[in-house]
Amino acid sequence: MLTLNLTALDPVESVAPPRGREVARALREHRMSGDSPMTAADDSEADRRAIDARLLASAAQGDQAALGELYDRWGRPLHALACNILRDTTEAEDVLHDAFVTLWQKAPDFDATRGHAFSWAATLVRNRAIDRLRSRQRRSELLDQANPADLGYDETNTPADGGDTTWLKEKASAVRRALTALPADQRDALQLAYFGGLTQQEIAQKLTQPLGTVKARIRRGLLKLRDVLAAQL
Amino acid sequence: MIDERHEELAALHALDLLEGEELAAFETALAADPDLRRLVASLRNSAADLAFTAPAVPPPSAALRARILNSAVPHPGSNHGQILPFPTLPAWLGWASAACFFFAAFFFAAKSFNVRGELQSILEAERVARLEAGTFKNLLEAERILSRGQLDRLASADRLINDLRIQADIARLKIASLKSLAGNSPEARAIAVWNPDRQEGVLVVSQLPALAPDKDYQLWVIDPQYPIPVDGGVFTVDATTGEARVNFKPGKTVDVAQVFAVSLERKGGVPKAEGPMMLISN
Repeated sequence: MLTLNLTALDPVESVAPPRGREVARALREHRMSGDSPMTAADDSEADRRAIDARLLASAAQGDQAALGELYDRWGRPLHALACNILRDTTEAEDVLHDAFVTLWQKAPDFDATRGHAFSWAATLVRNRAIDRLRSRQRRSELLDQANPADLGYDETNTPADGGDTTWLKEKASAVRRALTALPADQRDALQLAYFGGLTQQEIAQKLTQPLGTVKARIRRGLLKLRDVLAAQL
Repeated sequence: MIDERHEELAALHALDLLEGEELAAFETALAADPDLRRLVASLRNSAADLAFTAPAVPPPSAALRARILNSAVPHPGSNHGQILPFPTLPAWLGWASAACFFFAAFFFAAKSFNVRGELQSILEAERVARLEAGTFKNLLEAERILSRGQLDRLASADRLINDLRIQADIARLKIASLKSLAGNSPEARAIAVWNPDRQEGVLVVSQLPALAPDKDYQLWVIDPQYPIPVDGGVFTVDATTGEARVNFKPGKTVDVAQVFAVSLERKGGVPKAEGPMMLISN
C-alpha cells in the first residue's frame, strides 16, 4: 500500500508546483519510512504516473532538478527504446539528449488528457529515433532490417541490474506478459509498427498481408494490450 | 459508442501511422469527440509501454545526464531558473578590476585623442585636396573654353576667306544680259556669265525663234584685242520654247569679254559672223 501523500502536491491547492527535489525527497522519505514496508517497486502504476506528472509540471516551471529526476526515472527505458530502433548507443544518447531538451522546452505545453507524461516522453524519443533512422537509411534498407523477431520483446533479455531498476524490471515483465498474451500476428504487427519505423503499407509489405488485415491486427492487438496491461498493473 | 473504423484509426494514430488526408480527417473527428480522445490517449499509453519490451542495453553514459541539464536553458520569466553556483571572490579582485578598468579607460581615452587628431588632419588634408581639385577643374574648363573659342575663330576665318574668295570670284565674273537687235527676235532674252579665270562661261537663252534644219545659232565674244569676234560655239534651241542652256569655251584666250552676241548662221557655224545678229549684250 502506497503511503506517499500526494494530496499536498495537488496543483489545485498549491500555488506553484513543488520543486523536483521536494517531490523526489517525498518519494525517498516514503521509501525509507519505517511506517511502510513498501519499496519503490511497490509503487502502483497510478502513483508513479502521478509523480511523473508532478515532476513534469515542476520542469515546466523551470525546475532543473525536476528534469534531473525525470531523467533518472525514464532514462534507462527510453535509452533502450532508442537503441532498439537505431542499433547504435551513441546515436541513441544523442536522441535521448535532444528528446529531454525538447521535453524541457515543451513541458509547459504538455496536455495530460492526451496521454501520460511517460507516454509523451516515449513518443518524443521514438519519433526522433525514427527520423534519424530514416535519414540515414533508404527505405529498402529499413524494410530489410525490420524483423519482428529482432524488435522489442525478447524473453531471454532482461533489463540490466543495478540502481533503481526493480520497478523497471517489473514493468518490463508485465508488458512482456501482456505482449505474450497477444496472438503472434498481432504482436508482430505492433512491434513492426512501434520499433520498425515503417508505414502501414510497408508493414503490410513486410508481413505479406493485405493492408486491411494489418490495420485490423494493429487495432485488435493494441486494444488487447491495453486491456491486459490494465488488468496486470 | 466508437465504431470499429474509428477504433482502427485511433490505434493507427496512437502509433503515428496516419498520414496526409487520413490524419487530417481523423484529427478533425478527434477534436469533436471526447470519447475518441480518451480512446486515443489510452492506446497511446499502451503503445508507449511497448518501450519497456526493448532488449536491455547498458545504461547511458553518466555524462549524458549532465549534458542534458546543461542544455536545459531556464525558461524565460521562470522563477525556477537555473541557479548557477557563484564562487566567493577574493576582496582584492574588485580593486584589481577597478584598477584594470581605470588603466583601460585611460589607455582608450589617449588612443581616442590621438585618433581624433589624426582624423582631423586627414579631414583637413582632404579639404585642401578638394580645393586644389576644384581649382584644377576650373583651369581645365577655362582652357577648354579658350580652345573652343580659338577653334571657332579659326573656323570663322576659314569661312570668311572662303566667302571673300567667292565674293572675289563673283566680282571677277562677267555677267551680261543679251537682248534682241533690230527687232529680229523681239521676245528673245539671254544672259551670259563669263569666268575669265577659267576662260569659260554659260549662256541661257529663251524665246529664240525655232531654227530651220540647216541653221544654227552661234555665240560670239567680242574682245578688243582681236579684230573680229571670237567664236563661242554653235547651239540650238528648243523648237517650242526657244530655250537653251549652253556651256561655252572660246577657242582663243579672252582677256576682256566686252560684248556677247548671238547670230543666225548656217549649220555647223562659221569662222566669222555672216548671218543676222539675233542678240547682243550691252
